[in-house]
Amino acid sequence: MNLLDIDCEKYSLANGLEVILYNNNSFPLVAVNLWYKVGSAQEIKGKTGLAHLFEHMMFQGSENVPKEMHFKLIQEAGGTLNGSTSFDRTNYFEKLPSNELELALWLESDRMGFLLASLDQEKLDNQKNVVYNERLERYDNQPYGLAWEILISNLYPEGHPYSWATIGNLNDIKNYNLDDVKKFFSKYYSPNNASLVVAGDFDLETTKKLISQYFEPIQSSSKIETVTTTDQKLKASPKIVHNDNVQLERLYLAWHTVKAFQEDDSSLDILSDILAGSKNSRLHKKLVFELEIAQDIYAMQFSGKYAGHFMIVATAKAGKSLDEINKVINEEIDLIVNDGISNSELQKSKNGIKSSFIYSLQNLDTLADHLNLYNFYFGIPNSFMLDLERYNSVTEKNVEHAAAKYLKANCVELRIIPKGKNGS
Amino acid sequence: MEVRRDKRPETGKEINFLLPKYKKHLLKNGAEIYIVKKNELPIIRINFIINSGSKFDPKSKFGVSNLTSMCIDEGAGEFDALQLSDEFEYLGARFSVHSDSDITILSLQTLSENFNVALSLLSSVILSPHFKENDFLRERRKVQTRIEQLKDEPDYIANSAFEYFLFGRKNPYAFPVIGIKDSLSQIEIEDIRKFYKRLFNPHNTSIVAVGDFEDERLISQIENIFQHWKAGEKFSHRSPENNINGRKIYVLHKHESVQTEIRIGHLSSKRNDKDYFQKQILNLILGGQFSSRLNLNLREKHGYTYGINSRFNYFKDDTYFAVSTSVNTENTAGAINEILHELNNISDGITETELAFAKSSISRRFPLNFETYSQIASNFGSKIIHNLTDDYFETFLDKVLNVKIEEVNKEAIKSINTDSAIIVLCGDEKKIREQLKNLNLGELIIVDYNQMYSY
Repeated sequence: MNLLDIDCEKYSLANGLEVILYNNNSFPLVAVNLWYKVGSAQEIKGKTGLAHLFEHMMFQGSENVPKEMHFKLIQEAGGTLNGSTSFDRTNYFEKLPSNELELALWLESDRMGFLLASLDQEKLDNQKNVVYNERLERYDNQPYGLAWEILISNLYPEGHPYSWATIGNLNDIKNYNLDDVKKFFSKYYSPNNASLVVAGDFDLETTKKLISQYFEPIQSSSKIETVTTTDQKLKASPKIVHNDNVQLERLYLAWHTVKAFQEDDSSLDILSDILAGSKNSRLHKKLVFELEIAQDIYAMQFSGKYAGHFMIVATAKAGKSLDEINKVINEEIDLIVNDGISNSELQKSKNGIKSSFIYSLQNLDTLADHLNLYNFYFGIPNSFMLDLERYNSVTEKNVEHAAAKYLKANCVELRIIPKGKNGS
Repeated sequence: MEVRRDKRPETGKEINFLLPKYKKHLLKNGAEIYIVKKNELPIIRINFIINSGSKFDPKSKFGVSNLTSMCIDEGAGEFDALQLSDEFEYLGARFSVHSDSDITILSLQTLSENFNVALSLLSSVILSPHFKENDFLRERRKVQTRIEQLKDEPDYIANSAFEYFLFGRKNPYAFPVIGIKDSLSQIEIEDIRKFYKRLFNPHNTSIVAVGDFEDERLISQIENIFQHWKAGEKFSHRSPENNINGRKIYVLHKHESVQTEIRIGHLSSKRNDKDYFQKQILNLILGGQFSSRLNLNLREKHGYTYGINSRFNYFKDDTYFAVSTSVNTENTAGAINEILHELNNISDGITETELAFAKSSISRRFPLNFETYSQIASNFGSKIIHNLTDDYFETFLDKVLNVKIEEVNKEAIKSINTDSAIIVLCGDEKKIREQLKNLNLGELIIVDYNQMYSY
């Protein structure tokens, strides 16, 4: 038996809703995970943050569920729940004792099919204030909290779906009206733009019947428009300095790379691990351990449906220069480009990745979300082995090639500098 | 067939949840071990819990426990710091060491096939750390920088000020685990070595192992590896009498802050006391989950905040009750008003409906707490830290379901009041002060965070 062979059944309802069922009765829990294929990438200029604000409105009750009752019913049943919005999708999920599966199906279908009538100005005004505070708490009032927004708005050209942050601009959030919200719902929250995962302990036949009873009557809207983008290239390497209320300077570097699951995506993941994923990773060893010019170092390949980029972030120790840190980072990249990586470095990364795949199976929420993720990209939910194989097949040459191809190109350089100081 | 959408579907038949089986055993060296059976996946989780948290920091050397946990895996046995990290990474094992106020926890998660090798690495960290001076100095510099960085984080400032003023400087819980600037420079490598030698001993240690073990084999394996671990003392600690001075409001200025971090609370009775479940139920209704009174009021009605919660924070030897939130600066006074209003209101007690909701939520949630290997290890960890009864998990549901409304409304409500509550605010001092003028809350004390620990 291969643990990562997550044997599930997939089918579509007549209205286009995709259904994915993974049955595992070893523990009396069930997870329901619903993806709507809409995120902030579908927004337009002046209307940013709508996908995320809308996620909030989905918890404000629907035709048969009064405000506040969505949370209350799940919590009373002993369950957990939440939702999240990214560039590419919005997800909603609950985990419950398995005898409450129907409760989750009822709640999810009610807000998928019967939300509009219950939306009103008071609920919207309230959630605009909540999201306003969410933005203050997580971005504006956080040290370095605006870095992500500044970085992506310089990396992606104006109008690119990844050029603004999912949370949205403060002014846009303030200006939303009920009509915006209702239109967004009608356009994107349609069964043919969603996929439903049920994972865990349930009876297969009963569950199929319930799903069709709850979801099949919901009408789909017409075909959903997709976003089109072209591949991005930076014509120069912009250098941006931003002053913030922070003690220490921080450097952000970002390069265009590839979309999720495209060729080189997994090599870039491994490259990020070799550069900064552990104590003895190249940049950590050099900058934090030996030279002690950085307090921390971080690298990641961020990849989504419409684009991808590689980021390196380092915080300078007090009095240490970002120029020097930048120089060391580039020297280390050159070392990989010119001399390659060792087999043991590669193997270490692969071992860590393989273990993470197995660790991730512990949590039913994570597992259910992965089934939706794989379905979103491949149309095949049971792609754990295929995904792991992407990493297993990476060679030393692939990693060197990825470093040479992507990290030697133009990049955005952002420096966050304490207020009152000039860029060093 | 049509379903009815106008009412909640009925709950299905009772689920069959079985608590994981476990065995408790006293090792020859004096450490106790809990072996918990779980076999869905080839994963093993093992935690070493050592009674060596920051409350044992030597006087005026706050930060020793934390630095010990940072240094202990900077080289051990035959490996230096980087090699040791590589060895764990190569196994795909996740190893971490972490101190809090009460304990140090060394935790290891690994695939079963790598358990033996990973355990032997873990044992070298516990039994033969190098504690070299240069590693120590590097880690100390890292902590010193981190302490500087924390000045940027308003939630950290609010939390640490709240704990400092609540406990008062005679109580070690008043000081942050990471230490404070002035004490860090006093700490030397010898302090770390001494701390380790004194507290890292089997009598002061408990082990929780979760996985598909043959109990006897695991016991003899651990007996064998740790047979030469030198015996020592089991440490305990008593908090000083805390004096409650009535309500005070502390304001910590954060330049250009667009929100105010708010903490309101007071001390409370200890974790293993008999009223634990009554207090949990009360708090669940007041601020313990999304549909609590506080969250529905401040978030869902007024839109003052992204979220607000209240909790009883249980340390081993002390407890406090606290409400925490952050609100946009303009709503600081409004938010404080509503919080105090809810705290006062709860003294009228909760309703039968609320009690039923809370019982249902806590009891039906219980199985979810045993889903992952790390959750199970952490549940058994709490049981050890708080000296809970052997049958704690077995009797959990009965205890929750047997709580009577009078126990909550006559007794437990006394554990929340506004008279002895202190209020800590971190944000734009001038704007806060302006708003609080009309509230008549009591004495306003302006605190400079940089000087706070020298008061």
